[in-house]
Amino acid sequence: MSQKPTFAAIAFGLAIAFTGAANAAWQPAKPIEFIATAGPGGGTDNFARAVQNIVTKYKLVEQPIVVVNKAGGSGAEGYTYTKAMAGDPYKVVFGTSNAWNQPMVSKVAYNYTDLTPIAAMVQDEFLLWVKQDAPYQNVQDFLKAVAAKPPGDVKMGGAQSKDTDETLTRMIDKAAKVKFVYIPFKSGAEAAVQLAGGHIDAHVNNPSESIGQWKGSTQRPLCAFSPQRLPDGPKVTATQNWHDIPTCVESGLAIPQFQQPRTVWLPGKVTSDQTAFYVDLMKKVQATPEWKEYIERTSQTDTFLIGDAFNKFIKEDIERTRKVAVDEGWLISN
Amino acid sequence: MENLEALMHGFGIALSGNHIFLMVIGVLLGILVGVLPGLGAPNGVSLLLPLTFGMQPVSAIILLSSMYWGALFGGSVTSILFNIPGEPSSVATTFDGYPMARDGRPTTALATAFGSAAFGALAGVVLITLAASWVAQVALAFGPPEYFAVYFLAFASFIGMGGSPPIKTLVSLAIGFALAAVGIDTVSGSVRLTMGIDEMVKGVSFVVAVMGLFGIGELMIAVEEEFHVKAISSKVEWREVFRTLVGLPKHGWALLRSAAIGCWMGITPGGPTAASFMSYGIAKRLSPRHANFGKGEPEGIVAPEAADHAAGTSALLPMLSLGIPGSATAAVMMGGLMIWGLNPGPMLFVEQKDFVWGLIASMYLGNVVAVVLVLLTVPIFAALMRVPFFIIAPVIVIICTVGAYSVSNSYLDVMLMMGFGVLGYLFKKLHYPLAPLVLAIVIGDKAEDAFRQSMLMSKGSLGIFFAKPLVTTLILLGAALLLMPTIWRTIGRMMPRSEVKP
Amino acid sequence: MVSGRSLEAATALITGAFGAAVIVSSLDNGIGWSAAGVESGTFPLIVGVVILAGSLFNLVQGWLHARAVILGPSELRRLAILFVPAAVFVGVIPLIGMYVAAALYIFGAIAWNKRGSLLLAAAAAIGTALALYLMFEKTFQISLPRGALGTWLGF
Repeated sequence: MSQKPTFAAIAFGLAIAFTGAANAAWQPAKPIEFIATAGPGGGTDNFARAVQNIVTKYKLVEQPIVVVNKAGGSGAEGYTYTKAMAGDPYKVVFGTSNAWNQPMVSKVAYNYTDLTPIAAMVQDEFLLWVKQDAPYQNVQDFLKAVAAKPPGDVKMGGAQSKDTDETLTRMIDKAAKVKFVYIPFKSGAEAAVQLAGGHIDAHVNNPSESIGQWKGSTQRPLCAFSPQRLPDGPKVTATQNWHDIPTCVESGLAIPQFQQPRTVWLPGKVTSDQTAFYVDLMKKVQATPEWKEYIERTSQTDTFLIGDAFNKFIKEDIERTRKVAVDEGWLISN
Repeated sequence: MENLEALMHGFGIALSGNHIFLMVIGVLLGILVGVLPGLGAPNGVSLLLPLTFGMQPVSAIILLSSMYWGALFGGSVTSILFNIPGEPSSVATTFDGYPMARDGRPTTALATAFGSAAFGALAGVVLITLAASWVAQVALAFGPPEYFAVYFLAFASFIGMGGSPPIKTLVSLAIGFALAAVGIDTVSGSVRLTMGIDEMVKGVSFVVAVMGLFGIGELMIAVEEEFHVKAISSKVEWREVFRTLVGLPKHGWALLRSAAIGCWMGITPGGPTAASFMSYGIAKRLSPRHANFGKGEPEGIVAPEAADHAAGTSALLPMLSLGIPGSATAAVMMGGLMIWGLNPGPMLFVEQKDFVWGLIASMYLGNVVAVVLVLLTVPIFAALMRVPFFIIAPVIVIICTVGAYSVSNSYLDVMLMMGFGVLGYLFKKLHYPLAPLVLAIVIGDKAEDAFRQSMLMSKGSLGIFFAKPLVTTLILLGAALLLMPTIWRTIGRMMPRSEVKP
Repeated sequence: MVSGRSLEAATALITGAFGAAVIVSSLDNGIGWSAAGVESGTFPLIVGVVILAGSLFNLVQGWLHARAVILGPSELRRLAILFVPAAVFVGVIPLIGMYVAAALYIFGAIAWNKRGSLLLAAAAAIGTALALYLMFEKTFQISLPRGALGTWLGF
């Protein structure tokens, strides 16, 4: 089209411009900041860096990407910072369901409505773990033993307070009519070591937080809080892989599904073009073999939610957490 | 000794030209991030991490761990020269390192620090080589009550060692505790002490506080008291470096003791920062020259440095064998291990012998490389002391400002840092001790968490601190250290004057 | 001139005010024992009371025993020469950004001093800004604030 623009050429160009508008109308013009709401080495940090690596490797964006850790306040630092950046399409925040759950139970200065949802890219699974030499062979044995003891005698460890781990513990309480005492630690890795040392009786870690401990025969999973068994794969121990672990429902604990989505957000007040650009970018990331490899390595589940599906997921998750939070008296009055 | 055999095998892996080159690069980058306050080993390691994806796991971990050694060494440089601790664990090095440097002996101070640090690191690696499996078992014995007891012990050995007015010490300590509590509380998940500032939810960073209290505060003292750094000869003082190193065995007992404290705190959850404080506190109590501590006493440099490095090194063991990161850097490396397809945990030693022993062998080599490189830089760093004050003063202000900002890209932190600067000046001028405040910021919230976790476990009974032999011993030891000065004073009063200990 | 008394008093008032703020703020969090163990306000409350009580003690003690004069006019002048430019430097960062602020600060500090020269000042100023850029922006990927000036220039 460098010489005489004909009518056809102009029409063609316009058509490109219009169809392209859905995904290419806005392009970043300066470096992009990925904000991980966890410290270096944490699950969310690995998530943000995995996306960064893929984007950089395939040159999906012309501009450089920098990962910044804002882990303070269990991630509240990152969300609060992003909220303050309203309208800035160069800040992308990576988190979990704490984006909507944390404001429900603590007086933090943001809510998920201050952010623009992009995608929930993957779900981390939860399992119920006990010490390797514990006498229980299945969930029923374990829960019977818990019920036989006075309430508050059996210790469940987990990461953070009033976050997913404690919410799940309270759901187990209710489903099995028992009462655990919940001991909050800084991270799931810490809880895993406390279980190996016998200082607590159980925890509900994600697979990647405890795989080393399972391999090393210090603890073992009793059941997975997922609708169907985790995918088949290489053996983790001499005899078992993740697929050999029954779901909680099939072993008689009626919690059909409990997962931790890994979420991506923009600040509030960005344009729909900018939102569309990042949704598209995440779609491209999700389609790469490296992404599959990341999911397998961390034993997470591949579920990619955007748009309405993501919004619906958030609504449902909030309902579920709110039920627990109301019963436990966690809700803060705003 | 099958461990020694495995180690020899490890040396075979680690000793290649390629690996030595990686060590040199890693150490140099590490020194750089260590020297620049605000940037720490965790930043550096997470930036290098993507570069390692294409490497063999052994090569990758050698690069990253060498960076870690470099940063540990580099952290002491600014502590000694400008009273600005580059890393939390080098705060205690400022107590005697800075006075000595200011006294015209920066070369001696740096060489003492590096020499003792190398000794500490070596002690840590030897421990890992000989007692890896035993150490892992020890670490497992620590539950919340034991954690609390370890923190209590660290406080007890450091607080009440005297000098400052007791009520001022108490206020300083309590302010540190309050600052440590700012932000989200782990045990309840609620937001605390943000004083209406939304951003404070992230908590008060140790680096921000220290940069203000020590860096800016000391600068103000130096200006106001017209303190001039003594003239330093312009000759490169290789001989002084050498003489200091040769003279180190003089402090043999202090070295051994500090390394032991460091190894202990590295395996147990205390960590390098608590180790260096504790070691300094104990050295001051036991030394016959304890009146000289804080004025440039060599043992006041030896003790925290040897302990810091022993702890920093042995902290890698729980990471490998249990998957608990003993420090922020270890956490990043653990992320790396997983990306390289290795799972830290009890099986790593069985399944990945080449990797584990290659790493351990590289710890010996990496530390040798690090100490050689860092000693070569001593005269360069010492020369910084010759830059005229009117140039160095604004540079220090800028370094502190950028350092505070880069902790979490926050301007609020810069303002806080300046506030801490004024507070540091006032405290120093009026003889409030700063060290208790700093120690409380570092381990105050951890001690509180451990206490409250213990209370949850025991349903509110303090009996949990006396329920098992390990925790009881630690608590009693802490109590004894805390009461020792009082007891000695009482004994001193009862005895005739001439027999009172100095 | 500042007397030891007033400096002691000022410091005790600062720490005391902080203690009081800690106490007030801790009351929001709940005190004592509940189903969730030791409540999160308990520890800050104790700490706040210790700070406040200790500050009151230091206030009285300082008033009774402090040195008469602690800072003379020349000391105050020297402090001001250090602190005022430093505070201005920090204050203008949001406006003109870290690089420009640091360069101007260094330039001013060296040019002002009788032992400095304009050439040295200019070289040091450019050197500082460049070193900051290479070290932070390039090597460690930490972007320093560019301020309103940077936004205006489109950085």
